[in-house]
Formats: sequence, C-alpha cells, structure tokens
Amino acid sequence: MKKQHSRRAIRILKRAASHAVLIVACLFALFPIYFMIVASFSTFPLGAISASILVPRPSQVTLTSYHAILLDQNPSFVAMLTNSLIFAGSAALIGLGLAAFTGFALSKFNFPGRRTFVYFILLISLFPSFVMILPFYLMFAKLGLIDTYIGLIIPYSAGAVVFSGILVKNYMDSIPDDIEEAALVDGLGRTEAFFRVLIPLCLPVLGLAAFLAFVGPYTDYAFAHVFIDTSNLWTLALGLYSINSPEGQGVQNYGLVCAFALVMSLPIVAFYMAFQRWIIGGLTMGAVRG
Amino acid sequence: MADLRDQTLSYRLRHEWPAYLYLLPTTIVLLFLNAYPIAYTVYISLTDFGTGGRFSLLTYHYVGITNYISAFTTNASISWGLIFNSLFWAAGSVALFLLVGLGLATVLNQDLRGKTIYRTLILLPWAMPAFITILIWANMWQVDYGIINEMLATVGVAPVAWLEHTDTAWAALFVTNVWLSFPFYTVVFLAQMQSIPKDLYEAASIDGAGMFSKFGRITVPYLMPTIVFVGLMGFLFTFNNFYPIYLITSGGPGVTTQIFITQSYDDAFGASPAFSTAAMYAVLDFLIILVITVVVIWRTNLTRNWLK
Repeated sequence: MKKQHSRRAIRILKRAASHAVLIVACLFALFPIYFMIVASFSTFPLGAISASILVPRPSQVTLTSYHAILLDQNPSFVAMLTNSLIFAGSAALIGLGLAAFTGFALSKFNFPGRRTFVYFILLISLFPSFVMILPFYLMFAKLGLIDTYIGLIIPYSAGAVVFSGILVKNYMDSIPDDIEEAALVDGLGRTEAFFRVLIPLCLPVLGLAAFLAFVGPYTDYAFAHVFIDTSNLWTLALGLYSINSPEGQGVQNYGLVCAFALVMSLPIVAFYMAFQRWIIGGLTMGAVRG
Repeated sequence: MADLRDQTLSYRLRHEWPAYLYLLPTTIVLLFLNAYPIAYTVYISLTDFGTGGRFSLLTYHYVGITNYISAFTTNASISWGLIFNSLFWAAGSVALFLLVGLGLATVLNQDLRGKTIYRTLILLPWAMPAFITILIWANMWQVDYGIINEMLATVGVAPVAWLEHTDTAWAALFVTNVWLSFPFYTVVFLAQMQSIPKDLYEAASIDGAGMFSKFGRITVPYLMPTIVFVGLMGFLFTFNNFYPIYLITSGGPGVTTQIFITQSYDDAFGASPAFSTAAMYAVLDFLIILVITVVVIWRTNLTRNWLK
C-alpha cells in the first residue's frame, strides 16, 4: 500500500515537472513576440521603456507607432513593400523554376555525371552566401548593375538555386518511379509526365522551396545594404534597419521598431500559419531521412 | 529506370540525355553566378586590392600568398581569434541546440495533457523571419531601456552591460541563437522519437531499466544518425550565421565575438575597405568548413542518402 502510494507520488511529481519545463520553454518562445506586440501599441517616449509595458492598460494602448510607420515615412512603407515584393517575388519565381528542373533531372534521370553534379552543388553550398557579396559587388560595379533591380535579383536567385535544388531532389526521390512509368505507359512523353504527374505531386516541396526562396531576399539586409544607394529602391529590411539605428541619435523608438517589424512579418507569418504542415514537414523530412 | 545490365555509358547517354537539357539553366547559374564569383574571391585574396594604399582601388597587383602569410604573422592574434570564435560560436550553439532539443522532445514524448498546445507554442519563434527577431533581441539586450534589464530592475538587479563584456556578450548571443533554433531541433527529435517501436521500451521496463538507462540505451542510439546529421547541418549553418553577431554585438566588445563572416563583411564594406583581406578571410572560412565537412562525411557515411 505504502509502495503504491509513493509510486503514485513520483508519477504526479514527474508530470508536474514535465509541465513546468514545457511552460518555461513556451514562455521563452513567446516572450520576444509578446514584447514586440505590447511595445508596438505602447505610448512610451522615444527610447524610454520600462517593464510596466508588459502589463498594458487599455488606456495606454495607442496606434501612434502604426500611424507613423504606415503614413509618415520617406520612402513610404508601400514603396518599400513594393520593392521587397519585386525583389523577393522574382527571386522566388526564378529560383523555383530552376530548382524544379534540377530536382527532376537529378532524381529521375540516371545520366552520366549525375554524382559529379550533386557533389558540385554540395561543394558550392559550403561557400557562405554572405561572402558572395564582395565578388558580386565588384563584378556588378563594372557592369553598372549596382543600384538596379536586376543587380539584386540576380544574386538572390543564384542563392536560392543551390538549397532548393537539393530539397526538391530529395522529395522527388521519395516518389516511386512506378508513377512516372505508368504515365509513360499511358503514352505521355517524359517531359509531359514531369509537368502533368510529377509537378502536381511535388506541390508541397515546391511551395516550401518558393517560400524559402522568398523569405531570404524579403528579409535580406546584408546584400541590399551594399547594392542599393537610392532610397526609391529601398526594401523593408533596409527601412527596418534604419529605423532601428537612426543616424545621429543613439536611441531608437521601440514602438516604431516593433510596429514596423510586426507589419513586415505579417505576410510571412500568415503564409507560415496557412501552410504550417507543409513547411514543417518539408524541412524536417530532410533531417529525419538523413 | 532501367535494368542494371542496361547501365552502360552509351545506353545511359541515349536514354537519359534530356537530363542535360533540364540542367542547362542551373548549370549556367552555378558556373557564372556561383563558381565564378568564388574563383574571383580566391583571386582577390591573392592581390593587394584595397590594401595597397591610396590608388589601390583603381590598380591592384597579384601578390601571391602575402595576405595569408601576414594573417598568421603580423595579424596572427586577429586570425586565431576568428578561428577560435567561429568554432566556439558554432560548436557551442550546436551543443545547446542538441541539449535543449533532445530534452524538450523527451519531455514532449509522453502522454501529457495540452501536448499539442505546447508543441504549437514552442514552434512560434519559427513563424517570424530571423532577421526581424534578431533585431528585436538586439534591442532587448541593450543596457539602457533594454527590456531584459528593465525586468531585472523590477526584482532589484542592477543593469547588466550585456554587450560590453566578452562573457555576457557570448551569453546574449547563445541565448538568442537557442531561441532561434530550438523549435526546429525539438520537432525533428520528437518526430524521430515517435517512430521508435514502443515494445523496445516495454521490454526494457520488464528487464528493470530505469528512465535514464532507457534514454541512453534506446533513444540516443536510435536517434544517432539524426543527431549527427542535424548536428553537422547546424554547425555549418551557425559557423556562417551572420545576423546574430552582426546585429547584436557587431563582433564586440572589441573584436572578441567577431567571426570570419562578420569580419569579412566589415573589412569589405566597413569604414576602411580592405577587399583582399575580406576575400582572404572568406577563403579561410570556406577551407575550414570544407575540412570539417569532409572529415565528418568520411567518418559517418552521411552522403549515402544524397547520392543514391
């Protein structure tokens, strides 16, 4: 009787400890996001902030920061958003097309040189993308591509190909060859089978590849900072950075920074929430299969 | 798609040639927009571009491995610092990712009320783009008006100058980095743990194995391939993870948290451009990564799945 008692006590204790650990983990995960939200609605003066904003009172909630970032900015928020969408959208489209063809060729064809090609891609992927900024900068300065749309879309697309290509290849590897063979028996050509059978089956991974190829440029600061001078080509990432470190002043306006950051994240968060299963599934699949 | 006896070179060329057409655009991109810039970087690292005085931005010369020699003679302390910091940053982060990921996955892998809610909340940091959340973390660590110090103040702790001391600056970087990555590791390990056959644990319980010996004898061996794989990927990614360091410490205080990639960026686009030094550090970065990858792949047979 006594032994059973203590066993039950241990079980309850274990359960309580598990919940405690998970609650701490969730608070840790949530805290910065919660902070962003309350700070973006707070009325505190420039730079000044105190822990009391974490427990907001209804009377303190204000839309001043949102008003300021959406309406009183130069260049305007909409202009920066448009630029970001042009850069990231083009890179995602180009990168996606290249990745689909690459994945198809590497997964469904057994051509001479296939291994070499995969090794070549893996070798290139080891070269850190951030140090590509310097050679691209020097090349594009010669070609007069600095401070143009093309000048930034090219390196963004080039960066997307390497990772997405491997991602699509791995996913296509998991689709049985029989499916493609059945399409061939039905009289489709190999290219037709690719577009009409394989592509629809690969939509989840293609969506994921497009998403990743979009998020990279959408939140890129390192390339854009070097490649863009004129403010009418400014992207949201440049706008956010400049609000965060205003020239000549040491302090930043947390409300503005957080409001800008939240509005900028909105499209990404919405997309992530809508396709959470595909995104998490696609990204963890590679790791689990390894 | 063919029988083994048909796998001769001429057969494959005859039947598989469309692959080359599909790969043509990518090949062009890889050669001109990846391989060429990399080769160009190596070449710049062998010149005095940007470091040879006033006119060196217009005319520069091939100087052989002079830059590499001076990196390990006159500038030895900077270079060794970069090597140490880059390795410390990557290895320390990965150790924390694995520890937190395995721990939380183990806790989540039981019959608990609210498990789905916990899992969803833990995944939230992932929904936000990293560049944005890192910037917010950079603000949170500020000594004046940083929310972390403001919260400490409510329990009577004096403000900590997190980013002005090497130890606390590293602590701030590691905490931020764990926040960015632990959702991924937790979910990957949890998915893998759920695929471990239940009867293994039941059999172990009958044999009288406790919680820890089950973890050490069943869970860890079963997860080992995944641990090695995500560990290596995490290491390679963190070694070159630019934004946490660039946005939070800028390599400071001094250069004590500077890694190759941030040093290279500063050398190229900072106050005094030194393109050849920037290129040299990029090449050293790549060589170190290459050696580590080759050794790990060679010792663990990791490429099996990629190349099959």
